[in-house]
Amino acid sequence: MSILTYIGIQGGSVRRASLEVLSQCRKLAAAQGLAVEAVLIHPQASDFVAQVQRYGAQKVYTVEDPIFEQHLNAPLVGALAAVIEQAQPRVVALASSEAVKDVLGALAARLDAPALADVSSFELTEAGVRARRPVLAAKFIARVEAEGQPVLVSVRAGAYDAEEAPAQAEIEALPFSFDEAKPRPTLREVIGASGGAVDLSEARYVVAAGRGVRDEEGKKLIDELAEVLGAAIGSSRAVVDVGLFPATSQVGQTGKVVSPDLYIAVGISGAIQHAAGMSNSRVIVAINKDADAPIFNYATYGLVGDLYVILPPLIEALREAKG
Amino acid sequence: MKFSVCIKQVPDVAAPIQVRGGELVHDTGRLVLNAYDASAVEAALVLTEAHGGEIDLVLAGPQAGQETLRKALAMGADRATHLIVSEEADLDAATYAVLLARHFDETGHEVILCGKQAQDTDAGLTGAMLAEKLGLPYVTNAVRLEQEGDTLVVTRQGDTGQEVLALTPPCLVTCSNDMNDPRIPTLKGIMQAKRKPLDAREADLPGAPRTRVLGYENLPEREPGRVLDGDPADIARQLANLLHSEAKVV
Ligand SMILES: Cc1cc2nc3c(=O)[nH]c(=O)nc-3n(C[C@H](O)[C@H](O)[C@H](O)COP(=O)(O)OP(=O)(O)OC[C@H]3O[C@@H](n4cnc5c(N)ncnc54)[C@H](O)[C@@H]3O)c2cc1C
Ligand SMILES: Cc1cc2nc3c(=O)[nH]c(=O)nc-3n(C[C@H](O)[C@H](O)[C@H](O)COP(=O)(O)OP(=O)(O)OC[C@H]3O[C@@H](n4cnc5c(N)ncnc54)[C@H](O)[C@@H]3O)c2cc1C
Repeated sequence: MSILTYIGIQGGSVRRASLEVLSQCRKLAAAQGLAVEAVLIHPQASDFVAQVQRYGAQKVYTVEDPIFEQHLNAPLVGALAAVIEQAQPRVVALASSEAVKDVLGALAARLDAPALADVSSFELTEAGVRARRPVLAAKFIARVEAEGQPVLVSVRAGAYDAEEAPAQAEIEALPFSFDEAKPRPTLREVIGASGGAVDLSEARYVVAAGRGVRDEEGKKLIDELAEVLGAAIGSSRAVVDVGLFPATSQVGQTGKVVSPDLYIAVGISGAIQHAAGMSNSRVIVAINKDADAPIFNYATYGLVGDLYVILPPLIEALREAKG
Repeated sequence: MKFSVCIKQVPDVAAPIQVRGGELVHDTGRLVLNAYDASAVEAALVLTEAHGGEIDLVLAGPQAGQETLRKALAMGADRATHLIVSEEADLDAATYAVLLARHFDETGHEVILCGKQAQDTDAGLTGAMLAEKLGLPYVTNAVRLEQEGDTLVVTRQGDTGQEVLALTPPCLVTCSNDMNDPRIPTLKGIMQAKRKPLDAREADLPGAPRTRVLGYENLPEREPGRVLDGDPADIARQLANLLHSEAKVV
């Protein structure tokens, strides 16, 4: 019996969130006397095996096919279903991402397996899995339970720490076959795939801009602050709407969930739908000219004032501090 | 094209909600159309206005759901089906997907639209479950929907960029609220909605769900923070110091 972790690969490397989930699965497996296994699905899946071994997987399934160069739901569901049929795990854990959200429901239906989406913690029970998940725009936690085998669980980024525990893993390459005749969406193009910049959902530092950032000058200040810190850039829906920031940077209920060590919210009011994506950050800084803005309820440090006046000296001071 | 939009009624997250004895208590009891589903209805309206077609709605849920169906009819949809499920039923996404799949097996379907997630649970499972049950190609998290002849062109928000996908009906798409701003029903729309066909019937429940909610808790409180007010250059420097020496993050 095993716990199987799906290892996501993004921009040529293993997602840290997947290693967080793998680390947690290793602990749960050890406590229950289960094996901890991982699955890599990528055109060059074997390139990533060493990294997965470092985090303690005892068995790694690989599925290699050029089709996995781009995210496409139909082949990914097919490959995951085939690996799960082969591995017969008690639980399948996946680090949540847009790619995972895209396939989880279909995979659950295909395997006739119960699914718990976007949990912030989970544990094994005799009959399945018990978990906690934020609900109602992350205002509350629901304690949920699933019974069956396997249970599919997707886990929010930052829920656990990634801890190395090297193991020698057995490797099993599984063939991939795909029913080309079955209707499926065809990919026409991928727009604005971000390359080298710090990935938002994995970043240690995030600088996020809201409607208070109203022009290119404000955007330049955000860029500079992010650069000094080595931070990823996040945003509220308001500035994505007006086209000042890309949709991939949106943090919140519709956007991404982040939990960096430091989140600096600049000119963001702190609507619950925004907070849903960032309230779990360790240190939160809010910069807002309205002392009553709800964002201050989340802030470790709140600065009341005009961002256009506060950011230049802040960038300066941080640059000095960094030496 | 013919659109079938699956809509869910959800508690208004902006209204006061509390946890008492492990249960959620909605003081106002106000229920609204899931925002993501409102965007799905809007997307269907825009496409049928431009290219012709019709819009059916389906909602599974308690009696009170009728109000939400009427609201979406008032936006401009043509007709609605209400699969009545008692308030106590406590179903999960998988059982709702079965209910909806049975419905579509009976009525037929061309383009099914769902929300990308329900605003209350943020689960986001039902759409893809339903697509799989019906054997349909699907796209989730659509931020743009266009029609080119018999083809739907969907732009979805992915992890690092946007993917443009083409698919031919029958198919299913789940919609993000970043797609559009749903229209507010006009008085005329509200009057017309009262006369539009709404077929309500008891849903035939498919077995006990295998996932359930055990109870609710408040989020752990964040430590109260510190507000710095004063000369901008001063508080900027104070912050840099605090991040370094107190919070130890930089
Ligand atoms: C279903 C649903 C899902 C949603 N999902 C998301 C989501 O994923 N992410 C998201 O962000 N939103 C989301 N929203 C929208 C959300 O409700 C808010 O509308 C949005 O977050 C507001 O963005 P904002 O804080 O930038 O703008 P505003 O609320 O307009 O706030 C701007 C703030 O900037 C301050 N300000 C203005 N000028 C300055 C200045 N010069 N210096 C300092 N401060 C200044 C103002 O005091 C104000 O507090 C969602 C809404 C719904 C209904
Ligand atoms: C706080 C809370 C947490 C819950 N957590 C879970 C959980 O983790 N897993 C789980 O399986 N169940 C959960 N449930 C049960 C949940 O209410 C049902 O799963 C549910 O109604 C199905 O929708 P969803 O919220 O999962 O929707 P999602 O899967 O998020 O909904 C996506 C879309 O599916 C369509 N849709 C969903 N429900 C209906 C409907 N009744 N009628 C018509 N269209 C619909 C809509 O287009 C909607 O936008 C939870 C319930 C609550 C109140």
